[in-house]
Amino acid sequence: MLAIDMTTASIIYITSFVILLIGYLTAISSKDVIRLLISLELMFGAVFMALIPLFSVALLANAAFGIAIVTIFTSSGELLILIAAIAILDKQKRDIHTKTIKIGGDRV
Amino acid sequence: MEVWVLIALAGIAVLSSLGVLLSKDNFYSSLYMSATLIFVASIYAIFSLQPVFVLIVFIFVGAIGIVTVAVAATYRSDPESQFSKPWAVLVVITAAVVGFAIYSYKMLNPEMSSSVIKFELINFMSQSEYLILVLSLVALVVLLLLSVLKMVAGGTED
Repeated sequence: MLAIDMTTASIIYITSFVILLIGYLTAISSKDVIRLLISLELMFGAVFMALIPLFSVALLANAAFGIAIVTIFTSSGELLILIAAIAILDKQKRDIHTKTIKIGGDRV
Repeated sequence: MEVWVLIALAGIAVLSSLGVLLSKDNFYSSLYMSATLIFVASIYAIFSLQPVFVLIVFIFVGAIGIVTVAVAATYRSDPESQFSKPWAVLVVITAAVVGFAIYSYKMLNPEMSSSVIKFELINFMSQSEYLILVLSLVALVVLLLLSVLKMVAGGTED
């Protein structure tokens, strides 16, 4: 079993941060909502990775496990809503490009 | 040895996420995204956190990821994306600064780097509390599914 010291924690945090930034970069460069959905899932992956060092603190290990379970379920629910929103957008507008999302708020 | 496995998994995860960014086809982007999440879950596995590994692979990749791949395959006839090079440069610079900050913290605080803490994942919850948590989360998912069905049905009426 691999234990967490500063080296492994650094590797995990740096990787998580890089994946999160790539997710942001994908989100701001996306032209359609499918790529937006993919970038959100990538960001959630980075969040899952950032949770790993929480397990290294003995007092927080159980809480970290609970946080991980709740995070996975709630993020899955959020993505499910976004997938439904994409289906509705396609049915109503016949288009999935972000430039078509203007009504009811700012341009995405 | 295990640290090198961690570094290899983290490196492959970063490369897969770069594939998401650089691929112009949504279908391949979603496949790269699923691969990234599987490698993130594998990092949980090498820390002996198999329950979280199973949750991520089965729920996040197995359910949501596959739906995303299916949706991306449906709309794949649009291989167009915009890639901002100035933003990519900023991302690399920021990642380098953060990486150096964490590395220098380790160098300046050697007593912190020697403290090794091992996982102790025992007595997570009592059996009844665990059952209530799982039931609540399953109920949340069922309610979300019903809401989605209602939303989609409402969207088709127009």
